[in-house]
Amino acid sequence: MRILVPTKRVPDTDQKIRVRADSCGIEDEHLPFVINPFDAIALEEALRIREQSSDNVEVLAVGIGSTEYERELRTALAMGADRALLVESSEQFDPWNVARVLQVIVRREQPELVLMGKQAVDDDSNQAGQFLAALLDWPQATFASKIEFTGNGIRVCRETDAGIEVVSMSLPAVVTTDLRLNEPRYASLPSILKSKKKPIERVAFDELNIELEPRVTVLSMEAPPARSAGVRVADVDELLSRLRDEAKVI
Amino acid sequence: MPTAIDTTDVIVIGGGVAGLSTAMQLGMRGSSVIVLDRAQLGSGSTGRAAGLLGQLRGTAAATKMLMDGVEVVKDLENRTGTEIYVQTGSLRVAETPERAQEIVDLVEMGRAIGFDIDHLPIDKVAEKLPYMKTDDLIDACYCPTDGHLQPAELVSAYIKVGKSHGVQYRPNCPVERVLIAGGRAVGVKTADGDLHAATIVNAAGPWSYLVAELAETTLPTAALGHYYLTTRPDDAHPVDRFSPAVRDRHHRIYTRPESGGLLVGIYGAETIEYDMEKLPADFDMSAMKARFDDIQVATLIHAAQQRFPWINERTSMTITTGIMTFTPDGKPFCGTMPHVEGLFHCSGFSGHGIVQSPTIGVIMADLILEGGTQYDLKTIEADRYFDIPGFQERAAIKSKCYQMHASYYGRVEGK
Repeated sequence: MRILVPTKRVPDTDQKIRVRADSCGIEDEHLPFVINPFDAIALEEALRIREQSSDNVEVLAVGIGSTEYERELRTALAMGADRALLVESSEQFDPWNVARVLQVIVRREQPELVLMGKQAVDDDSNQAGQFLAALLDWPQATFASKIEFTGNGIRVCRETDAGIEVVSMSLPAVVTTDLRLNEPRYASLPSILKSKKKPIERVAFDELNIELEPRVTVLSMEAPPARSAGVRVADVDELLSRLRDEAKVI
Repeated sequence: MPTAIDTTDVIVIGGGVAGLSTAMQLGMRGSSVIVLDRAQLGSGSTGRAAGLLGQLRGTAAATKMLMDGVEVVKDLENRTGTEIYVQTGSLRVAETPERAQEIVDLVEMGRAIGFDIDHLPIDKVAEKLPYMKTDDLIDACYCPTDGHLQPAELVSAYIKVGKSHGVQYRPNCPVERVLIAGGRAVGVKTADGDLHAATIVNAAGPWSYLVAELAETTLPTAALGHYYLTTRPDDAHPVDRFSPAVRDRHHRIYTRPESGGLLVGIYGAETIEYDMEKLPADFDMSAMKARFDDIQVATLIHAAQQRFPWINERTSMTITTGIMTFTPDGKPFCGTMPHVEGLFHCSGFSGHGIVQSPTIGVIMADLILEGGTQYDLKTIEADRYFDIPGFQERAAIKSKCYQMHASYYGRVEGK
């Protein structure tokens, strides 16, 4: 079985993020980049499936972007991915076009499962997985908090606002992962050393014969307004009157 | 907000434990003190520290300093009603004849100065630490009065007691210049305006060499990366809150209990060097994060696994990484340099800032107010590398500090 894990390279959102002076992006000079945390969870799940399976399971990490992306794919290999594939392009891809690229890669690689983050923490779109499932006409389960293999498919627990929803699906399928699915591992020393010898496969975006269909264009970015400092109130009465008269929330 | 000019007796640059302790002691003795920090108080190395307290050091003087520090902490606990010192006891373990001899020497030295220490049979070690591998050990020693200081609680106590003695704290106030007149430090320039004082304390931790440079002074410290892991509580390997700390120099690790899990840190043969001037102005140490394929983390996990075989890369844990301030000999710099009067350095604790800080505050206040102290300063004088060739260039300084770090857990204590 082959599991395809699309990963996105995103800025580490725990760092201070600044919008560029021209409002067209963020300042990334000092910014560390990481594998999108939800994709790291997807990768971890794929590795666990491989470890628990009696069959041969191959975990393929896929990235779309410029050569800088290699660093994150190298991380995926160190964590234990069997292969890493970079679709090289300097273009910007919105979720629709990400899904279209992945559709072509899925056709080439024939995975039985695509495991990916429910969203990327840079744009929080939460669309690519759903688009991909629709393009492939595969069943999908989003926000997975548990994945189990059954005789002829998988059972997925989905985290919804109403509680845990359990769905059964046939394979091949697309599953997007939520925070509580697992906790990604750190790479072991032998695994890091082994990964340095693994190649990163590359395919040029131009070779895929996809005409970009941009549907989302970023017009401008702005930082959220700075929060003003809090004030200490003397007692409950003052709190109530301030909430009523100043904040006008009660 | 200050408007024009502010004047106090002492300005402390750096709101980590070294600066906060110094400020508190000065305040308690009647000085007017203001503490400036580039960010939040306790947000630098202090906020990333494990806080292990092993009182027995290579010399009697260094040991006495730490033992006295415990008394300062107990007094702070009484004044603030918080638990800072967790007395778990500590173990040193040996798996090679050289390490076993080290333990023999340590026990002998400890007893000679009246420190509570004794050999502990391996079966007793196994009883105390059921979650630790012991079958390869040949000797161990136990110090019942050791433990760890809780860094956050210590910071709060320093501030609480400092405030009650009039110490002022100004976070988010980076120092842009040290003002010097006639060979004397007379104040600092900040974005909020100038502050004047006859005494300036450079307690800026990893940034302290940059503060020294503002006064055209070379402070031979280097900023080095440090890593520890903290496992989440695991029913299969319960870690009691009062399980002894362990030092295993052979594997370069130290451990202590933390919130039901085990904290394991490493002084590796290799680590990351940081140039603080190259980090963003608003660099936040608390947001530092290790990559999933960080070789330092992999080395840490590997080392931890040698002593705690149930820990591996898949163990549920958090990784904490931060920056330490190392010196060429692993001892801090406390005091002035010959060419700038009134500028006191207090930095370079080489991974032991939390536990040294209680006494260091006393020493700094002694030096500043009385010009001397009962403590033996020989090994911690700030000017011990002043004008000494080989300790003036950043590259050479970094290399010497790096070597010190690399050999820290390799070296035999006291030699």
